Amino acid sequence: MNRRLIIWIAAVGFTVALALSTVWAARVGERAPDFTATDSNGRVHKLSEYSGKYVVLEWHNRGCPYTAKHYDSGNMQRLQREWTARGIIWLTVISSAPGQQGYITAADENAFLKQSNAAPTAVLLDPTGALGHLYDAKTTPQMFIIDPHGTLIYNGAIDDRATTDVADINGAKNYVSLALGEALAGKPVGTSSTRPYGCSVKYPN
Amino acid sequence: MTLHSNSPRSASLLFLALALFLIFTPGVSAQSPAETHENIQLVSEEKSVRPSGPFWVGILFQLDPGWHIYWKNPGDSGEPPKIEWRLPPGFRAGAIRWPRPILLGKGSVRDYGYEGQVLLMTTLQPDHPVATSVAIAATVKYIVCREVCVPGQTDLKLLLPVSEATNIETTGSSKLFNSTRAQMPKRLPPQWNVSAVSTASNFVLTFRGGTAQEMRFFPLQPGVIENAAPQTLASDKNGFSLTLKKSEQLAKPVSTLRGVIVLDQDRAYEIAVPVKSS
Repeated sequence: MNRRLIIWIAAVGFTVALALSTVWAARVGERAPDFTATDSNGRVHKLSEYSGKYVVLEWHNRGCPYTAKHYDSGNMQRLQREWTARGIIWLTVISSAPGQQGYITAADENAFLKQSNAAPTAVLLDPTGALGHLYDAKTTPQMFIIDPHGTLIYNGAIDDRATTDVADINGAKNYVSLALGEALAGKPVGTSSTRPYGCSVKYPN
Repeated sequence: MTLHSNSPRSASLLFLALALFLIFTPGVSAQSPAETHENIQLVSEEKSVRPSGPFWVGILFQLDPGWHIYWKNPGDSGEPPKIEWRLPPGFRAGAIRWPRPILLGKGSVRDYGYEGQVLLMTTLQPDHPVATSVAIAATVKYIVCREVCVPGQTDLKLLLPVSEATNIETTGSSKLFNSTRAQMPKRLPPQWNVSAVSTASNFVLTFRGGTAQEMRFFPLQPGVIENAAPQTLASDKNGFSLTLKKSEQLAKPVSTLRGVIVLDQDRAYEIAVPVKSS
């Protein structure tokens, strides 16, 4: 691993760490922890800059078969387009540590986005795992939804079919779409917390 | 390397050389077969079955070092194997008997499952006496993980003759059936007493009637306890208690705590304890 990469990772990690004054658990119904993180184009994002908007956080590892289920089928890309078109901010987060599955450079991630036709608002690169630990993200995929007031309104699985089988997408109850649909209609979110399914997030050893 | 395409013959030779190079170079995914880390078999305890049954069969997983499959409650990540039986008419398969799991994973993501070798067994029972040999099939869908996860699916078959003999010969797997039975969680001995209390952040299991130096509770219900939190064991004059941190995502009260307790990494018991609020 070259020196430039090490310095870059340290800079990102330091920035994220600095932004975290306390370690919060991200509990549904409570304030979602604010964060500062850098995307694959070098742009810095703060959760607080999206105050007034719905924000979706999608934990991602392209090598995980559960993630691949939603990308190979085009399901995740479809969700990204559908909801960003309605003004939702969609942030994909990659918390894999260097050397672990899912770790990716900004350039490679941008290539993946093109090749997979993905359409998140941005992809946050979190190689130190600071953002992952802040939200206690355990699996890829794992989905979080934050409302315009900064409250966490959903934490858990993308849908109710905890398998790697693409055939299980059709007919699955998509918790993200359900929650966003209810919230946008001014209704309370029916299912706000589910057990997320996927591969473990590849935090540093 | 420059391509001289002014000569069609040299261009096609170059193309052939390049094609051959790509085919025989390792890492070209289209050519290399998938590596598997598991061997899965459908095994029977006995070489033949009695006309009225029941008889024990099982799915035997043999895993490469470091690779694991998951328990009924996989924990924070992963998925337990799913077995779909295809049996002759009138046959019924019982529920899978899950041996006691081990704690897997690291840091903030902890799972429950098995490494090395594990036999997931069950009984098959015909509803009428059988006369001819019994053809059993099973489709097993599973995921094996180490640093990465690899899903798999396999179709297994077994043909068992019927025998009226009083002594039926056991198979080479019978030792494994017996050692697996020893790994099954047992009912709590009658002299033991367990109670559970719910506090703001924890469940506290209190045991009276026995001793242990080490204990771990494996929950059957996902999303109830924090799988990655340490479980503190404390003894007092009446027995000992195990404190289990509640899951951050637990929203509703839990009326009964169900799971397996493993004492001293050796004895395993199934418990279902009503929970009182403190």
